[in-house]
Amino acid sequence: MKPLVEMRNITKKFSGVTALENINFDILSGEVHILLGENGAGKSTLMKILSGIYEPTEGSIILSGREYSKLTPADSAENKISIIYQELSLIDELSIAENLFVGKLPTKKVMGIPVVDFAHIHEKTAELLKRVGLNRSPSTLVGELPISEKQQVEIAKALASDAKVIIMDEPTSSLTTEEVNKLFAIIRQLKKEGVGIVYISHKMKELAEIGDRVTVLKDGKHVGTKPLKDVTTDQLVSMMVGRELNAKNLNPHRAETNEVIFEVQHLTRKDRAVQDVSFKLYRGEILGFAGLIGSGRTELMNAIFGAAELESGDMTLFGEKVIIKSPHDAVKKGLAFITENRRETGFFHNFEIWKNISISSLVRKSKWGGIWGFVNKQAEQQQAEEQKKVLRIKCSSILQNITELSGGNQQKVIIGKWLAAQARLMIFDEPTRGIDVGAKSEIYAIMRKLANEGKGILMVSSELPELLAVCDRIIVFKDGRLRATFTNEEATEEKIMLAATSDM
Amino acid sequence: MVNRFRESWQKFGIFGIFILIVAALGILSPEYFLTTNNLTQVVLQSAITILIACGEFFTILIAGIDLSVGSVIALTGVITGKLLVSGTPVVLAILIGGILVGGLLGAVNGILVNKTGLHPFIITLGTMSIYRGITLIISDAKPIFGFPQSFKEGVAGWIFHIPIPVIIALTVALILHFITTKTILGRNIYALGGNAQSAWFSGIDIKKHQLIVFIISGICAGIAGVVMTARLGAAEPLAGVGFETFAIASAIIGGTSFFGGKGTIIGVVMGGLIIGVINNGLNILNVSTYYQQIVMGSLIIAAVTLDKLFSAKK
Repeated sequence: MKPLVEMRNITKKFSGVTALENINFDILSGEVHILLGENGAGKSTLMKILSGIYEPTEGSIILSGREYSKLTPADSAENKISIIYQELSLIDELSIAENLFVGKLPTKKVMGIPVVDFAHIHEKTAELLKRVGLNRSPSTLVGELPISEKQQVEIAKALASDAKVIIMDEPTSSLTTEEVNKLFAIIRQLKKEGVGIVYISHKMKELAEIGDRVTVLKDGKHVGTKPLKDVTTDQLVSMMVGRELNAKNLNPHRAETNEVIFEVQHLTRKDRAVQDVSFKLYRGEILGFAGLIGSGRTELMNAIFGAAELESGDMTLFGEKVIIKSPHDAVKKGLAFITENRRETGFFHNFEIWKNISISSLVRKSKWGGIWGFVNKQAEQQQAEEQKKVLRIKCSSILQNITELSGGNQQKVIIGKWLAAQARLMIFDEPTRGIDVGAKSEIYAIMRKLANEGKGILMVSSELPELLAVCDRIIVFKDGRLRATFTNEEATEEKIMLAATSDM
Repeated sequence: MVNRFRESWQKFGIFGIFILIVAALGILSPEYFLTTNNLTQVVLQSAITILIACGEFFTILIAGIDLSVGSVIALTGVITGKLLVSGTPVVLAILIGGILVGGLLGAVNGILVNKTGLHPFIITLGTMSIYRGITLIISDAKPIFGFPQSFKEGVAGWIFHIPIPVIIALTVALILHFITTKTILGRNIYALGGNAQSAWFSGIDIKKHQLIVFIISGICAGIAGVVMTARLGAAEPLAGVGFETFAIASAIIGGTSFFGGKGTIIGVVMGGLIIGVINNGLNILNVSTYYQQIVMGSLIIAAVTLDKLFSAKK
C-alpha cells in the first residue's frame, strides 16, 4: 500500500542547532502511527514541518505522489492534513458549528447579498458530531464544553475539512479514563474509514491499546520504527530514554536523617484549588510532585510562595513558623520559586545576566518593604561571576543579555538568582521544560547537590521518568488533594499514573 | 559589528542628534541662535518640559503612562497661588501646594491603577479631566495673582547668571538619575517595566512600586506647576494644557522604550532639550507654531520607529 504521507531524510536546524537529523517517517491509510520520544526529542518539530509551519533544512515530503522540498500551511491543508494540538485551538466565544467551519463558512444569496448559510452548517455539524459521538446541539457555545468534549469538537473539525491524516498531539493528557476510552472508539472508527493517524503520547499503556506502528525519536534522531506488537514496553522505554535512565545514577536516596526542614499542615487555598494538603520535607531529599495538569501541584507551589490566597494552613521552615502573604514575604524568608514558564514569570528580557542574577538578592537585602537600599554594581557582577562558575552557565560574558542564552542556560541563570539570594527552600516547577537533554542532566545534578548541601528542594514535573530519576519521594496529586506518597523504591510510572487518574 | 553600532547608538546617539540639530541651527542662523542669551533662553524654556518629562519617564518605564501631568501643573499652581495670596509663608506654600499636592494627585493615580487593574492610560485620561475640573472650580476659572516678590525671585529668578528654574530642573533630574542608577527602588522599577510577572515572582511588590512611580510623576508635575506659576507671576487655571505631549515626547525621543523597562534620565533630559532647541530654532527661522506641532508629532513617530527597528534586530 502506498503511504498517505512520506517524509524522507528530514533534517532541521535552528540557527546551527540540529533539532532533527535525517528522519524518515511515513503514514499509512487506516493506521495509528505512534510518535514517541521525550520532550525535546523532535516530535513537535517533525509534525510542524508536516503542517507547513517549519521549513525542513534538508529532505523532502511526498504527498499524493508529488514531492515537496517544503510545505506551506496551504499545501498541508490541501492535502487534507489536520493537526489537533495539545492546547486546543477552538474559539470559546463561537458555537460548535461556527468553530467547525471557521474561515470557510458557506454562504447563500438572499436578495443578491451573500449571507452565512446556518441551516446548512448546522446540518453538516450534526452529522459530524454524530460521527465523533458527541451528543450536543451545533449551536452550543464551545466555551461551555468540558475539555474532553472540546477535543471531540477538534476531531470533528478535522473531519469537517475531510482530513485524510490527523495528527494528535498528546490528546489524552487532560482526559479521564472514560473519556480516553471514548476517544479510542472514535480513533478506531476513523481507522476503518481509512484515515491515517499520528498519535503523539508518553503514556505507554495506551499506546499498546491503540497503536499499530511506533516510531521512536531521541535527541532529534530516528531510533527506529516497528510494529507495536513486536516490541515490549520496556524495549520502547529504553529506546526512548536510554540516556535518561542513566539519570538513575544520580542516586536518589531516602534522607538519612529524620530532620524535617519544611513542613506544610492542612493547607487549603481560598479558591479551593488545593485542599487540606500536609507533607514534610526531610533534610537532603528532593521531594517530587506528580499529577495531571490542573491537579493542584503548581497551585500548591503558588500557595506556598504567597502567590495565591490561603484559607487555612501552617508552614514551618527550619523549625520556625512562617507566615507568607506575598512572594515578597517568601523571598524575605528564603524561599525560591523556579516557575514553569521562565519567559513569562522567570527572567527579565531587558536585563543583562548579572542583573537577572542579582534581582532577588537585592530584594532580600532591601528595607521598608523592598524599596530602600542601594545597588552595588561591582558586588553584583562578582556575585554573577560566582554563579556562572558554580552553575557552569555557558555565556561569553555576564554582561550579555539573558535572551542571547539557550533555554538551559537561562534556567541556570534563574537558579543562580535564587542561590545568590541565599534561598533555603527551592521550588522547581517543570525545571527542564524546553531544555535540551544535556542541560537537563546538569540541572538534575545541581538539584541533587543543593539537596546534599541542606537546601530544601520541591520539584513539580509532568515527566514521570524525570521524577522517578531525580526524586527521593514522590507525592501524587489529584483534584487539588494529596492522593498518594511513594518512596523512590516503591514508585513506578504505572503506580503514579493510577493514583493520578483513578477515583480510588 | 552591527551589535556594537547599536550599543553605541543607544548610548550616544541622542547626543549626536542633539549636536547635529544645534550645528544645523547654528549654521542657518548664526547671529541669533548661537548667542549665550538665546541658548540660556532655550534651556530656561526647556526646564518645565524636563521637569514633567522626568516624572513621565517613570510611568513609561513601567509600560504605563501619565496623561494627567498637564492638569496637575494647573491644580498645583492654583493651590500654591491661593496659599500665597492668603498669606502662607512662601516655602510652606511651595511645599504644600506644589510638592505635597502634586504627590497626592500622583498617589490618587497610582491607587486607582492598583485598585482597578486598568491600564494607566484610562485612569490618567480620567484624572486629567477630573483634576482640570477641580482646578476650574476652586479658581472660579480666573487666574490668581498678586504673589510676594520673594516667591517670584526665589523660584523664577537667577543665581550667577543661571535661571533658577534650570537649577531646579537639573537638581530634580540629578536626584532621579541617582534613584534609577544607584538604588534598589530604581532597579526594581526597571525590572517591573521589563516583566511585571517575573518581578512579582522575584519578590518585588508591584503595587507599592507602581504607587511610588505615580507619586514621583505627580511631584515632578507639582514642582513644574510652582515654577510655571512663578514665571508667569500668576496661577492660570488653563496652564499646562497639552503638556503631557511634551513630556511623553521628551521621554520617547530620549530613548525610553514605550514597551517598558528601558531608558535613562539623561536621555530624557536630552529629549527635553532637543524639543526646546527645535521649537526655538523654528521660532528664530520664522516658522509658524502650527508647523512646530507637525515637527514634534513626526519626531515622536520617528523616535519610536527607530527604537522598534533597533530592538527588533535582536
